[in-house]
Amino acid sequence: MSTWLAIACVGLTTFLLRASFIVFADPQRFPRFFRQALAFVPPAVLAAIVAPGILLNQGRFDPSAGNLRWIAGLVAIAVAAVTRSVMASIVAGMSVLWFLQWAMG
Amino acid sequence: MLATIDPTPREEFIAGSREVAPSLVGTIPFGLVVGIASVAAGLTPFEGVSLSVLAFSGIAQLVAVQLMAAQSPLVITVTAALIVSLRLLMYSAALAPHLAHLSPRWRWLIAYLMTDQSFAMTVRRYGEPGDRKDKHWFFIGASMTLFWTWQLAVVVGVLAGAGVPASWSLDFVVVLTFIALLVPVVRTRADFAAAIVAATVALATTGLAYRLSLVVGSLAGIAVGLVLDRRHWRRA
Repeated sequence: MSTWLAIACVGLTTFLLRASFIVFADPQRFPRFFRQALAFVPPAVLAAIVAPGILLNQGRFDPSAGNLRWIAGLVAIAVAAVTRSVMASIVAGMSVLWFLQWAMG
Repeated sequence: MLATIDPTPREEFIAGSREVAPSLVGTIPFGLVVGIASVAAGLTPFEGVSLSVLAFSGIAQLVAVQLMAAQSPLVITVTAALIVSLRLLMYSAALAPHLAHLSPRWRWLIAYLMTDQSFAMTVRRYGEPGDRKDKHWFFIGASMTLFWTWQLAVVVGVLAGAGVPASWSLDFVVVLTFIALLVPVVRTRADFAAAIVAATVALATTGLAYRLSLVVGSLAGIAVGLVLDRRHWRRA
């Protein structure tokens, strides 16, 4: 039940954001400050998602070579910087992670 | 005055579909990943597909399923989905003037179908000279092609995801996807500072329940970016 409520609310939220100016409001009334803040949403949000995903090892901060996801993540960052390709970054990161898991396993 | 004939709705629709075709190479694997991640997070395949149809946004879907898996309260899940989707507000403001002449029914449909890709292609197209009355069909063509490709990829993902063992670490694909999206958006020093602060605060607050660290870290990063960027908006 709570799952369905969350699904409905997330769906409604994304729809209302899309519809905001197209259906309801006048874009002239879009505050400058807000527009400025929006520019920092992608780097901030994505970094807040990525950092715990690669730097936490069993719930603890672990920037050591023993943290395989950290190593694989660093490789993916380098590949993303060079290629700008989502596919290449995924393939590189997963290859490194699987190789390290196999080598350590 | 050039005596050019306006493209028909059909021609606009086809042009939109053609324009979007190359980017489907990225849409398909991303849809698969989101489908797999949805069932890995504990949603049933039907719930995963329903979320996809309602939200039609890979990033919002990924964030929502991660938070639902962490048993987050509704308000946290929705707030996080809201923050990662704020860019849609910007797109909405940018497209609105081009759609003002359409009926509300059309505008509701276009709003529902708007994504990063369809927005990017449409503003470029609408920036071209000439005022074609059926140009919204270009958007519909691009968006419908994306919509069906995306939903089919998610369906395949949720069905396949149910059979993948946890030892394959496929959940890491989600993190890698976000890495690939993050790197190109860090362009200025203020972007970089926003990212570093968001990452640090998110890590420092991992003890907080319900993945609240995502929201706290994001807001801290946005705030720092704004402060560093202040000169810019004062001058303008």
